[in-house]
Amino acid sequence: MTEPERLITITDLCVAREGAARPELDRVSVAIDAHETVVILGEAGSGKDALMRALNRSLEEGESASGTIRYGAGPEEPSRATRTRAAYLPGPYARPLSPHASAIAQFARIIARKLGAPQASGRAEFAQEIARLDGAPPLAAFEKRAGEIPDEILGWGLLAMALAQTPELLLVDHLFEGLAPKAARALESALLAAKARFNCTLVCATMNTDTALRLGGRLIVMRQGRIVEEGPLPRLATAQAHAYTQTLFKDEPPRARSGQRGQPVVQALHICLTAEAKTRDEINFELRRGASLALVGEKGSGRHRLTRAILGLDYLAKGRIVFDAVDIGILSPEMMSRLRRRVAIIAGADDVLDPRMSLWETVGEPLRAHLHLRGDLVARYRESALRRVGLASLPGNLPISELSAFDRRRLQVARAIVTAPVLAVIDEPFRGLDAFAKSVIRDLLQSFRAEEGPAFLVITSDFAVARALADEAMVFRDKRIVERGTLAELLRGPKNPYARALVEASRLDTLHALSPTAAGG
Amino acid sequence: MSAAGEIAAPAPSLRTIIRGAGFIGLGAIGVAVGLADVLTRAPANAENVGPPLLAPSLQFPFGTDILGRDMASETLHALAVTATAAGFGALVTVIVGGLLGFLAARLPWGLGLFTRWIAGVLGAVPALFLAILLIGLTARGLAPLVAGLAAAPLAFARAFDRARELGLSRHAEFARATGISSNALLRRDLAYEFRDTFLVNATRALAAVAIILSTVSFLGFGATPPHRDLGLMIAAARDTYFDHWWTATFPAAALALLILCARLAAALDEGERP
Repeated sequence: MTEPERLITITDLCVAREGAARPELDRVSVAIDAHETVVILGEAGSGKDALMRALNRSLEEGESASGTIRYGAGPEEPSRATRTRAAYLPGPYARPLSPHASAIAQFARIIARKLGAPQASGRAEFAQEIARLDGAPPLAAFEKRAGEIPDEILGWGLLAMALAQTPELLLVDHLFEGLAPKAARALESALLAAKARFNCTLVCATMNTDTALRLGGRLIVMRQGRIVEEGPLPRLATAQAHAYTQTLFKDEPPRARSGQRGQPVVQALHICLTAEAKTRDEINFELRRGASLALVGEKGSGRHRLTRAILGLDYLAKGRIVFDAVDIGILSPEMMSRLRRRVAIIAGADDVLDPRMSLWETVGEPLRAHLHLRGDLVARYRESALRRVGLASLPGNLPISELSAFDRRRLQVARAIVTAPVLAVIDEPFRGLDAFAKSVIRDLLQSFRAEEGPAFLVITSDFAVARALADEAMVFRDKRIVERGTLAELLRGPKNPYARALVEASRLDTLHALSPTAAGG
Repeated sequence: MSAAGEIAAPAPSLRTIIRGAGFIGLGAIGVAVGLADVLTRAPANAENVGPPLLAPSLQFPFGTDILGRDMASETLHALAVTATAAGFGALVTVIVGGLLGFLAARLPWGLGLFTRWIAGVLGAVPALFLAILLIGLTARGLAPLVAGLAAAPLAFARAFDRARELGLSRHAEFARATGISSNALLRRDLAYEFRDTFLVNATRALAAVAIILSTVSFLGFGATPPHRDLGLMIAAARDTYFDHWWTATFPAAALALLILCARLAAALDEGERP
């Protein structure tokens, strides 16, 4: 049996950011063989991103590195670094392209620069690669400006761009984060097929254990800048030695839940989301205090349109909405704005909080703006909320821009807690979080619902999220409901083929992911 | 690091260093200007302090001009006049341009966009010509105010665009969706913008206004004797400069230093065009 060829040897790699209390990478040593699949798993701030940047030689301003990254077998091959064809594949969630320029032109330029070829040739390579990818959208989908292309499509473009460079080493940086399960699954399959085609080395950073399980190969678990555990994925998925890895792989137990019922908070009567909708497409539902309803569907299915209508931000073609016993159709914009003070929003996007504000200002703002409370009362409520979400130990003047995605999400929960809302809109709350952070946010939201008792309106494309947070669900497609019922019913046997596809895509049965064929690298 | 896999350690934040140097320079100029009466050997415009057109020497380090005025004292006094006037003009630019631009972005019924269009049209005209026009319409004594107003259209446009960007941002939409009123949002945006950008905007405007004021004076539309600023000093040296280089060199160097420090303090951001 021949020894595998060593592609990268990392020795005592440290990456530190100017002014940071601890290094992003703390004396990390790891070896990666040629043709191997390596998944780097960890929560936000674990150091996996810094490791990817170091491998891609693209450290950010203010970062400095020490240690060794050796490409090839040893010092006798110093030029190997320049000969290794590495392609960096970021996720669409990171917005790697300029939103104002045509996506295809940007892809062509990057490919041409990497290959040292003219831009026309880069475009041809991109077109060829898109045509090869099974399930990819047509080339015309990338002619638009990058900002106008949905993440699900942009992900395919980024993959084709990376593959057009015929890489020897493919650095996949959170490619699937924030994508709907169905879209993520298709991209994962295409990535694995491409890996087999090029026989390249695949290094993939992710926060998602399911993604890791499906990609297979070797798993490196990172936390606070260090590697805490390393080994073949099938083994680590079932028998973890480190407590942190156990937390990451902890499966969420299925829970039977019956919806609590109180006063109606939202009543939607004969709502049509489009002018062309027929009577049978009308949306009628009632959401009571303490209950939780999930709006499940893909982007553009009408979930956000309905939510914006409920909040009085969009006008409806037809129908009435009664919010907290008030028909919002008769309210002036000022009165509607006052009514919205009873709403809290927790969204899975990091830019919903003003990055210029501090931790304390963010939580205290609703108390000052809505209730005009005295400073000492604001401080008391703020402290209590921050303690509940585990952020009380952070300095109060810390700007939002310096918080991690996990901390920002917790801060949104704290802000929601002090608002004492009657309705909480929870929009993809776990997007971009690792398994550990997801479990913390899920627990916080459940405790928020149990203790404050607001109605939950959960917007998601993933039935796993709906199952964690809601009692009932409505499945949306093309601005109408295709199926509705309790979560238990929908998960047991959805009748509509689209709803069934969404349930299957949500990977409720992790056994499939653990099977040797799925986990093989 | 080994030769096999070099990772370039990035330089420390260049922007911070540049801004720091700029503020140190402006601070030094401020001290010199504040102590001008103590540091100089002669009051402003004092003639026959030395022989006319004396070259730089130990006694007169910057030499003397045609009326026997000490060039070092005159340069420092003129720098005080220019810096004070430019500081006032920069405040006018920041308040009229920055603040009003920010508020105009929230005007309803297309009024805001109309004001933005007007600012765009005015911004297309070189600020120097605007300043000369406005001085012609008002008075020479109002040159600092006029220079500030001439530099304001681009500041207005920039503030307007920033306010629109903030108004359309996700965090603003999030705040509105949770009942934060438009007025509260405006107050919040103004407070943070003032905190985060005032110094950069003010120093950028300082550089622009200093250039406008000096050029206007050089052309004879600005400061009048006996209150000489740097532009007027350079203009006065037109007849003697080619034979007596020091008569214009030191005022020009002082003006360049003031502008350079202000631009550095603004981190070399693109500014209002003179």
